[in-house]
Amino acid sequence: MLELVDISKRFKKTEAVKSLNMFIEQGEIIGLLGPNGAGKSTAISILSTLIEPTQGDVRFFKKSVIKKPSPLRKAIGVVPQEIALYPQLSAEENLLFFGRIYRLKGSELKKRVNEILEQIGLTEKRKALVESFSGGMKRRLNIGVAMLHRPQILIMDEPTVGIDPQSRSYILETVKRLNKENQMTVVYTSHYMEEVDYLCDRIYIMDQGNLIASGTKEEIKQILSSENTISIEADHWNNAFITHLKEHESINNVHVEEKEITLITPKEVNLFTEIISMTEEYDIALRSLHVKSPTLEDVFLHLTGRALRD
Amino acid sequence: MKGILLARIREFIRQPYSFLLFTGMSILFAWLISSLSIGGGGGGIPVPVYVEDGADAYQQSLEEQEAFRFYTVDKETLEEELREGRVDTGVLLSEDDFAVLIGVESPNAGLIQQTVQEVYTESSRGEIIREAAEEQGMDPDQLVSAYEEATGMFQLSISSFSGEEGWQYDDTVHRVGGFALFFSIYTIAYGVVKILTEKRMGVWDRMILSPMKKSEMYIANLLYSFIEGYLQIVIIFAVFYFWRGITFNDRIVEILLMLIPFALAIVALSILITAVIKNLEQFNAVISVVTVSLAMIGGAFWPLEIVSNPVLLFLADLNPIKYGLDIIQGAAVYGYSFTELLQPISVLTLMTVLFTGLGIHLMERRHI
Repeated sequence: MLELVDISKRFKKTEAVKSLNMFIEQGEIIGLLGPNGAGKSTAISILSTLIEPTQGDVRFFKKSVIKKPSPLRKAIGVVPQEIALYPQLSAEENLLFFGRIYRLKGSELKKRVNEILEQIGLTEKRKALVESFSGGMKRRLNIGVAMLHRPQILIMDEPTVGIDPQSRSYILETVKRLNKENQMTVVYTSHYMEEVDYLCDRIYIMDQGNLIASGTKEEIKQILSSENTISIEADHWNNAFITHLKEHESINNVHVEEKEITLITPKEVNLFTEIISMTEEYDIALRSLHVKSPTLEDVFLHLTGRALRD
Repeated sequence: MKGILLARIREFIRQPYSFLLFTGMSILFAWLISSLSIGGGGGGIPVPVYVEDGADAYQQSLEEQEAFRFYTVDKETLEEELREGRVDTGVLLSEDDFAVLIGVESPNAGLIQQTVQEVYTESSRGEIIREAAEEQGMDPDQLVSAYEEATGMFQLSISSFSGEEGWQYDDTVHRVGGFALFFSIYTIAYGVVKILTEKRMGVWDRMILSPMKKSEMYIANLLYSFIEGYLQIVIIFAVFYFWRGITFNDRIVEILLMLIPFALAIVALSILITAVIKNLEQFNAVISVVTVSLAMIGGAFWPLEIVSNPVLLFLADLNPIKYGLDIIQGAAVYGYSFTELLQPISVLTLMTVLFTGLGIHLMERRHI
């Protein structure tokens, strides 16, 4: 249905997106995963025809939409990363305003506004000014505005940034419901691995403008089928222990956090006993040591040597 | 387009504070400065006068002037006040001549000289008519009143926008006009910069993706900013017309209509500034510098006739405030007709076209 064909985008000296290929089929939820600065937002802007690529093509039902974007624009609803609303207007007034610019009128507009308010759970707050809303409520309204004209494709650019877990879960459920009940195609970008893991059928992983992996969740996790992820938990670390791990010939990747170290190791090598004796040797008070099934975070760590949120 | 206008009006109703602040400030400044006698109103600038024998009539005429408060002192007091800097300028009146004594260089000296000169010219003209009437055996009073009537019917003035010849000055009109135009720049600019804020917020992107045309988006936003700024100018003029009784030569409606190109030129200038800056913080800094500079160079705070520096005068020629004030002064002080005011109106219209074209082009190219 919608394709990005060999897309590159250069801003002066920075190449934000490099030779990106992507396809989206009807009714899918596609995840675009990557850390901040990976090029996700640029890819989304190109996909929604807001910026033109330096190279490559965007095709909607096999027709290029770079020079003639209106067929695609009619079909998409975009939820930007920013809160793209008028803070001095109420939730209802915002919906009425954006409904009008989509040429909705009279009773049809009012009916649609009521439906959206119901869907995003803001019916009771319809008269309240947006500036008085919590971050989560603003995010929900931000999504509601993008759905006013019943788009076929909903493009969401990090829609859960900076909100509480309750609102986040509400948004994820709403997206899931829209996809299930309305067969809405969703393109969802995030740097939260667990959101993409929960929502998406297929995933594209980007880093520094490059597409580094793509496929279904299972296919991506298969990248680590020959490797184990070992998690070590302790109250504190010392540098000698970390250096030892990094220099170990059977450990492919070491990622250190405050109280947890994640190791990627070949499946055929059993390092359990060795790690326990190393913690004793370096006087580390070990709290737990276990092998995890691979996550998307582990795949990203494996592919780039960095964590998603680094 | 209607939707954008309605949304902006709703926002304005809920948050009219900056508009009220700028309107209030321009009214306050124009009123205060006039009342504090900086150049007129409330008694005017004090000017000590030493009157020699036979010059009492001139002093009486001077006391009737509104712009300055001429008061009689003895010669020693006059010299002392000038020496100690209590006054900038003093006047010596004699029967056939006068002298303007300058203690400190000030822009008022020229105006005082002109005021005294007018009194002497008027008086000597009356004397000449009386002498001529007596020589011809006519009634001098009858001839003088006939002359006054005639001058009332056929008033001849020699004046131009660029020359100092025949320069007339109405301080109150200048203050009201100057401050109204100055503060309207802030109101208009802060209206136009909303385009930048909306672009940053993503609202603009939402509109681009909608069936709405980009031209509609620009027109609606710019039209709203124009209406807000123009409304402010109208309110300020109306306040001084109804409250302070300033008649603007009974041409207030014409003046306000002729100021439409000024408000449009400021909208255009604001879009140009918005196109070259990167964020709101930068805009705040730039707009303060630009507005105050425009007001100073364009003659909003003092008449341009006292400026002699050719560079400043050249810069004034590129300044919309100068042309706005030309329209106000031209209609309210000089009594120029619409045709005679076509020059400043045309320059402002040209500025509007030029700045709008350049501003929108830059804004679209920069993908702010």
